[in-house]
Amino acid sequence: MIVLQDVWKSFDGGRTYAVKGVTLKVNKGETLVLLGSSGSGKTTVLKMINRLIEPTKGTIEIDGRNVQDLDPIALRRSIGYVFQGIGLFPHLTVAENVSIVLRVLGRPKSERRRRAEELLALVGLEPKIFADRYPDELSGGQQQRVGVARALAADPDYLLMDEPFGALDAVTRDILQQELLRLKEQLRKTIVFVTHDIFEAFLLADRIAVMHQGRIEQVGTKEQLLHQPATDFVRELLAKPLKHLASFHGPALHPSGVEQSGERGNG
Amino acid sequence: MKEGMVEWANFVWQRLPELQQKLVEHLILTGISTAVAVAIGLPLGVLILRWVLLRNIVLSFANAVQTIPSLAMLAFLLPFFGIGVKPALVALTLYALLPIVRNTYTGLSNLSPAVLEAADGLGFTRWQRLWLVEIPLALPVILAGIRTAAVIGVGIATLSAFIGAGGLGDFINRGLALNNTQLVLLGAVPAALLALLVDFSLGLLEDWLRPGRKPTALRWRTALFVSLLAIVFFGGIWSSQVRRQASRKGIGVVRIGTKNFTEQLILGELMAQLIEAHTDLRVERKFNLGGTVICHQALVRGDIDLYPEYTGTALTAILRRETITDPEKVLAIVRQAYRQKFRCQWLEPFGFNNTYAIAVRRQDAERYGWRKISDLRPMALRLRAGFTPEFRERPDGYPGLQKAYGFGFGRVVDMDPALMYQALARGKVDVICAFATDGRIPAYNLVALQDDRKFFPPYHAAPVVRMEVLQNYPIVGDVLGLLAGKLDDETMQRLNYMVDEEKMSPKEVAHQFLEEQGLTRVRLGR
Repeated sequence: MIVLQDVWKSFDGGRTYAVKGVTLKVNKGETLVLLGSSGSGKTTVLKMINRLIEPTKGTIEIDGRNVQDLDPIALRRSIGYVFQGIGLFPHLTVAENVSIVLRVLGRPKSERRRRAEELLALVGLEPKIFADRYPDELSGGQQQRVGVARALAADPDYLLMDEPFGALDAVTRDILQQELLRLKEQLRKTIVFVTHDIFEAFLLADRIAVMHQGRIEQVGTKEQLLHQPATDFVRELLAKPLKHLASFHGPALHPSGVEQSGERGNG
Repeated sequence: MKEGMVEWANFVWQRLPELQQKLVEHLILTGISTAVAVAIGLPLGVLILRWVLLRNIVLSFANAVQTIPSLAMLAFLLPFFGIGVKPALVALTLYALLPIVRNTYTGLSNLSPAVLEAADGLGFTRWQRLWLVEIPLALPVILAGIRTAAVIGVGIATLSAFIGAGGLGDFINRGLALNNTQLVLLGAVPAALLALLVDFSLGLLEDWLRPGRKPTALRWRTALFVSLLAIVFFGGIWSSQVRRQASRKGIGVVRIGTKNFTEQLILGELMAQLIEAHTDLRVERKFNLGGTVICHQALVRGDIDLYPEYTGTALTAILRRETITDPEKVLAIVRQAYRQKFRCQWLEPFGFNNTYAIAVRRQDAERYGWRKISDLRPMALRLRAGFTPEFRERPDGYPGLQKAYGFGFGRVVDMDPALMYQALARGKVDVICAFATDGRIPAYNLVALQDDRKFFPPYHAAPVVRMEVLQNYPIVGDVLGLLAGKLDDETMQRLNYMVDEEKMSPKEVAHQFLEEQGLTRVRLGR
């Protein structure tokens, strides 16, 4: 369980705050989506959880322990991290990328290789084909699959995902969202997921925290957000896409049956 | 044309063992200095990535070093490191530093932020991030810096021959001193090839270290190249080993230095061969040192044991005294000063007086009735003078000449001593600062004008020896005494001419002279 208690963050010595008094609880096994436009502070909140950014005020606890009391290196190794930039290491093969955390932890080579193949299969990449390729030989979607596999290498209980599919084309994004839903069911990790895409949020979230100008406007399930919006901001945020949805009459909230091969472009 | 090629091939073939040795020396000079620069520059590049204050200091220091001309750098290091391999390595290392530090810094500071964020997010420590991510990714850029440094190093290393550090520059120096183009090329061409080779090989390495898959063509290229390199390198080591064993017999060693022109080389050979003929001492020839100051410093520091010096030069350039015209008096002053200040002994002079002489073309002298230097005064402003850089600066050179005679020349150009005579003969200049004993004065139909104001001090050459050496090996003084008074002006002119124009080697000329004089057969008690 992750608990944020009145967390503030200023990047300019207190003149302005990017995060203003955020209090939030992420329950074990749930997927919590931080939803907001750019500049709303959602990424800052995420990065304070694994101490890539240090809070100015407030406390963050993971499983009852204040993260400030933990070694940041050990903390980050125990939390998977996936982000829009992907950041695969171009000088390492796919398998080496996936198992890099195990290398950093000093695990033997054979174990690393076995685990890498296991994880590649888990994220839908055939190990025989992909393990010894280099990242620049992969399509964007395949690269982010590797990114997810890498985050899972040390079998962390928590996964932080910062707009992981933001840079992908719509078709690929749909496929990876479905894959993530499957992984969620399969692995039962606690996931904090940042996005500005309402559909993505509704698709993936167990609960959604809507952020605006550094504050949390409302935390709740899809139904709570739709039927009992806490603020005008939340109401307006959801009003527009709902209108669009209505005009389609389509099953946009439940995309399915899209061909998987669509994203294996140059594979 | 074809004959020329055959002759050139023959020449190279004869010199092959020496060429290999010099090549290896050159490689070692460049290799060690580059390696040291990497060992210093790489950590420094990493350090200044995070330490901004240090960054400016380090980068501006490295930049400043780069602007110092190589010869000035060697001269600057002389008082601290003397002559030989050590100062050359220091200079080369300093030059190699900038490209390595700068490229390390540039390579590390231009990495993709996404990759760094991934490393941080995955929980890498700072060291793990550096070793596993930053350095491997910056490696092509870092290596490009090392490549630049090494190629520059190969070029600059040719200059270290000026301070007796060996390498291919030895051929170039010797060739320039002897006005022998073949010798110059024997040093210059392999040096250029070596630079290309180093560039190519480090380029290969760069390709290997680039992230991603390696093409088969690269593998073939590398295999071919490495085997070729191994042959050259081990061949060089083997041949230098053979030479070293052959030369390792005597117990004591006498190191003889000379400046970098013909007469000095002949004198050096004369002394070396005499010592070799009459003693068990091994002679190390540290010839072709780049000028008076370098020879003197080397002697005082004990890097060489003796070298031929001229009384007038010692008086004005080393002791910085006023010029005196009485040869006996000059010798006495110099002798006493050297004994007290430098603990060095002037032996008896060889006999000739290699004074500076203002020389002109014989036909001009006849047409205008020039006999003495004063005769030039009416036309002086229309004359072009070709002077060595040293002559232009020395108090007993051009500055003093102007003061003594009250006129200067219309134009003065810097000239290499080896090229000066030809330039005058061909009408490129009208007046030069010849050396009185140079064989090219009669050979090129030039005349030396009489020094009617008695401005030039006497320049009698004599061996200058460290007193410690004379105490340890008194026989050295005895043997060198055999040459006292044996070389008058005409004899020295003749010997110089044999080297400069008949293209005999100083070694041959010295040998022939000693044979003629029967000096190698004289019996000396051991």
